[in-house]
Amino acid sequence: MQAVSAFLIPFLDIQLLGLVAAGTFAGIYIGAIPGLSVTMAVSILISFTFAWPVYPALALMIGIFMGGVYGGSRTAILLNIPGAPAAIATGLDGYPMAKKGEAGEAIGITTVMSFFGGAVGIIVLAVAAPMVSEFALKFQPRDYMLLAVLGILLVGSLSGESLIKGIFAGAFGILIGTVGLDPLTIADRFTFGFSELRGGISFVAVMIGMFGISEALVQLHDVNKAAVRQQINRIVPSWSTITKYLPLSLRCSGIGVIIGALPGTGGDIAALMAYDHAKRTTKNPEVPFGEGAREGLVAPETANNAAVGGAFIPMMTLGIPGDAVTAIMIGALFIHGLNPGPMLMIDKPDMFWFIVGALTLANVFMLIFGLTGIRFFVKVVETPRSVLIPVIILLSIVGAYAVKSSLVDVYWMLGFGVLGYFMKLYGFQLGPVILGVILSRLLDDNWRRAIISDQESLPMLLKGIVTSPLSLVLFSAVLFILLAPLWRKVTARRAA
Amino acid sequence: MREGQTRRPGEALFVGFLTLASLGLLIKAYGIAGFEALSSPGALPMAATAVMLLSALIILRQTIKAPAIRTETIREHILPAAVVVAMVAITAYAFLLEPLGFLITSFLFLAVLIRVLSGRSLFFCVWSSAACVLLIYVVFRIVFSVLMPEGIVPEREILAWLGRLFGGGR
Amino acid sequence: MKRTAIAALLGLGIAGSAMAQSYPSKEIQGIIQWGAGGSTDVVMRAVTPHAEAVLGGKVVMQNVTGGVGAIALNRVADGAADGYTLLMGAENPLLYKVMGLGQKDYSDFTPINIIARGIPIIVAKPDAPFNTFPEMIAYIKANPRAVKFGSTGPGGLPSVITAMINAKQPIQVTAVPYDGDGPALTALMGGAIDVMPAVLGAAIENIRAGRMKPIAIMDVAPNAALPNVKPVVETNPEFRQYLPWGPFFGVFVKKGTPADIVTKLQAAYNTGAKHPDFQKLMDNRGFLMMNIAGKEADDFLAKWQSTTTWLLQDAGVTKASPAQFNIPKP
Repeated sequence: MQAVSAFLIPFLDIQLLGLVAAGTFAGIYIGAIPGLSVTMAVSILISFTFAWPVYPALALMIGIFMGGVYGGSRTAILLNIPGAPAAIATGLDGYPMAKKGEAGEAIGITTVMSFFGGAVGIIVLAVAAPMVSEFALKFQPRDYMLLAVLGILLVGSLSGESLIKGIFAGAFGILIGTVGLDPLTIADRFTFGFSELRGGISFVAVMIGMFGISEALVQLHDVNKAAVRQQINRIVPSWSTITKYLPLSLRCSGIGVIIGALPGTGGDIAALMAYDHAKRTTKNPEVPFGEGAREGLVAPETANNAAVGGAFIPMMTLGIPGDAVTAIMIGALFIHGLNPGPMLMIDKPDMFWFIVGALTLANVFMLIFGLTGIRFFVKVVETPRSVLIPVIILLSIVGAYAVKSSLVDVYWMLGFGVLGYFMKLYGFQLGPVILGVILSRLLDDNWRRAIISDQESLPMLLKGIVTSPLSLVLFSAVLFILLAPLWRKVTARRAA
Repeated sequence: MREGQTRRPGEALFVGFLTLASLGLLIKAYGIAGFEALSSPGALPMAATAVMLLSALIILRQTIKAPAIRTETIREHILPAAVVVAMVAITAYAFLLEPLGFLITSFLFLAVLIRVLSGRSLFFCVWSSAACVLLIYVVFRIVFSVLMPEGIVPEREILAWLGRLFGGGR
Repeated sequence: MKRTAIAALLGLGIAGSAMAQSYPSKEIQGIIQWGAGGSTDVVMRAVTPHAEAVLGGKVVMQNVTGGVGAIALNRVADGAADGYTLLMGAENPLLYKVMGLGQKDYSDFTPINIIARGIPIIVAKPDAPFNTFPEMIAYIKANPRAVKFGSTGPGGLPSVITAMINAKQPIQVTAVPYDGDGPALTALMGGAIDVMPAVLGAAIENIRAGRMKPIAIMDVAPNAALPNVKPVVETNPEFRQYLPWGPFFGVFVKKGTPADIVTKLQAAYNTGAKHPDFQKLMDNRGFLMMNIAGKEADDFLAKWQSTTTWLLQDAGVTKASPAQFNIPKP
C-alpha cells in the first residue's frame, strides 16, 4: 500500500509532474545534440537543484535521463551523427532510411520501441531488482572479459562487405581506447611525450569525427543535389508492425536490462549487442541490414532504453552505479542527505517506489514528446546541403569541444573525421572502430584483473572459466559465435 | 555497391599508409612493457597492433592484386573541390579558434563555407551564420556553461555587464 | 522571465571593473580533477554553492579528468593567476613528481581551503577467515599471495596503506587493480577480491548492511560512525609512526594570485564549509572536516607529502626519489 502511494507521488503532484515532463523534453534535445550528454546535464543539475527538496530534484534528473537516452537516436537517424554513444547502432539502419525519405517512419518506430524497452526496464526494476543485482554482482573480472570478447565478435556483423577490413577497423578502435595513462599502472601508452595525451582520446571526439565529419565530407561529393523529400504521412507504426517485432523487442529488452544493470557496462554496449542479436536471429529481413532494416532500429532502441531501468537496479539495491548517469545521481542523493547503499531500500522504500513512479511517468512523456514535433525535425534534413553541412561541421566541433572543454579533442575529432572519410571511400566500415573504442577498456582492464587474480597463469584462468557456470555460459557463447560460421561451411560443403 | 575486387584511385597508397602506421604502432606498443607479463599494460596494445598489422598486410595484398578502376580520378571521386574546400576551412578553424575565440571563428567559418558551397547572396550567408552561431552559443555557453575559447571577445565581462543591465544588481 | 534567467545564471557581480575590490566581476571557473559522481566531485559541488553565497559570484564547475588529475592541474597552472580559475582537487598531485606524472604539484598553488580528510579503513568480504588486523596479517603470512587485495593503481590510497603495512609487517598479497574504490568495493561484494583498503565513507553503508566486514580503521582514534571497530593502533601501535593519514580534498588557486582575492576566497570557502548541511553530508560520508587555510594548510600539505612519498619510495613504487625534489624525510 505504501509502495503504491509512493509510486503515485509523481503522478499526483502537479509540480513533480511538470518537472518530469520538462526534464524529459529537455532530455530529448540534450540527447540529440552531439557533445551534450545526459551525464553533463545531470551534473549541472546537481548545482542547480542544490537547494531543492530531493523529490523535485530527482524528478527532473530522471526525466532528463529517460529523454536523453532516447534523444540520441534523432540525430543518428537524420544526420548520421549519433547524439550519444548508445545511439550508434540506431544510425546503422536509421540513417539509410532517412536517405530514402523514410525518416518519419524511422523516428516513429524508434519512439515506440524506446517506450517499450523503457517499460520493460522499469518493470524488471520494480519486481526483480534485488534478484538482478545479486546476479550482476556474480560477474567476476573473467566474466567481464568474456563479455567484452563477445562484444568484439560483433565486428563480424558490422564489417559490411570486407571482413578483413572490419577486423582492421576493430583492432584500430581497441588501440585508440588504450591511448593515454594506463589507469591501473599509470604507465604511459602511446602518449609520445605529450602530457595532453595522457587523458586519452575522448571517445565522443572519435565518435563525432568518424560519424559526423566523415559523413559530412562524403555528402559534399554531390553538394548541389537536392535533398531527399521526406514522407511524413506515416509516423506511428501500425499495430501489426509492433506485434511483428514483439518477440525481438522483448529479447532485446532483456539484453538491455542485464547489460544496463552490470556495473561497468551501459546502454551503448547493450544497443550494439542487441543490434548484433537482431542481425543474427533475423533470417529474412524485408530490407537488408545496413540499408534500412526495421529490425536494426527496433533492437538497439529497445535495448538502450531498457538499460535505463537496468542501471537503476544496482543503484537502488546496493548503492552501486549501473552507469555514468546513475553515478552522479548517487552523488545527488548524498548531497540531499540520503545514504545510498544496500540499506536504502530497507530504510527508505518510498524513495525506491518514487523513482519507479518517476521513471514510468518519464517513459510516458517520452512517447508523447517523441511522437510530436517529428515534422519539424524531419524538415532539418530537407535544408539544402550547402547550408546544412557547414552547420553540421560546426556542431561537431562544438560537440567535441564541450565534452572536456579541450581543444585537443577538437583536433582529434577533425583528424578522425578526415581519416574516417578516407576509410569510408576505400570500403572500411567505421562501426567496428567505435565498437573497439567502447570495449577497449572493458577488455583491457578485465583481462588484466582476471590474469592477475589467477597468478599470471593461463591454465588457471581457463580452469576458473570452466568451473564457474556463468563463465562457462559466456565462454560457450563466444565459441559458438566463432565456430558457427565454420560449421555452416563444413555442412554446406558436405551437402554440395 | 562497390565490388571488393577493384581498386579505387589512391587506395593502394592509403592502405600502404595504414600498414606502415600499424607497424610503427606495434613497435611503440612493444616499447610500453615488452613481454614483461601477461597482465602488463602493453599486452592489449600489442595484440591490437599485431592484428592491425596482419590484417593491413592482407588488405594490401588484396588491393594491389585488384584491377584499378579506370573511370575514376582523384580529382573527381576522392577529393572533389568541395571536400578540399571544407578540409581547408576546418583546418583554418582549428588554428584560429584559440586566438580569435569561438564567436568570431565560427561566424567566419560558416559564412565563408556557406558562401563558397551554395553561392547564395552575401546577405543570406551573413545573417544565417550569425543566427546559427548565436543559437549554438546560447545553448552551449549559457545554458550548459561550456566555456568556449574566448579569444579576443571579452565574453565573461560582456555577460556580467548584460547581467547587471537586466538584473539591476542585488 | 529571460532577464531573471540570465541574472540568475550570472549570479550578479557587483558593479565595477575587474579590480580586486570588485572581485568577482565575472564567472569563476572551478576545475574539478575527478569525474562526475566521484567523491571529489560530490564534495566540491556540495560546498561550492555555500561559498558562492558568501562570495556573491557564480562558480561554474567542470570535470576535467585524465592523467590521474594532472590534466586539470596543468590547465589551472597554465591559466592566469587572477583568481578566476580554481583547482578543485584531491591529494594526488603531491605524488606527481615522484610518480613521474608531472613537474608541478600543490607547491605551485595557494591553498584556499583544505576541506576535509578521509579516514582509511580495511574491509574484507564477509566470509573471509579473519576478523581483526592481527588475524589478517597472520593469515596472509600463512598463505602468501593467496589473498587478493583491491588496488587503485600506484599512488592510490590502497597502495599507500599496503605500503604502510608492508613497512611494519611484510606481507605477500596479490594486488588486483581497479579504476577506483567504487568498482573495487563492488568487486569485494562479488567476491572477486578478498580485502580492500578504502575510505570509510565509501564502505560504511555496505558495512552496515553486512555485505563487507571491517577489519581495522587505519587511524589513531575510533570513529563515531563505527564505534565498535578498533583503530589499528590499539592492536598494532607501530603504525602510530604514519597515522593519522588520509586522502583529502582542497580548493586551490595558482600561486601569484593577488592576496586580497585569496583572502576573499578563503573566507568564502571557510564559511561555506561550516554550513550545517555540508557538515552533515561530510559526517554521513565519514569524512573528517578540516577547513584549514594559510600556514596551517601549507604545513599539512608538506607533512602529507613527506610521509607519503617516502613511504612509497621505501615500498619501491616510485619512479623518482623524493630526495630529488627536496622533499624532506619525515
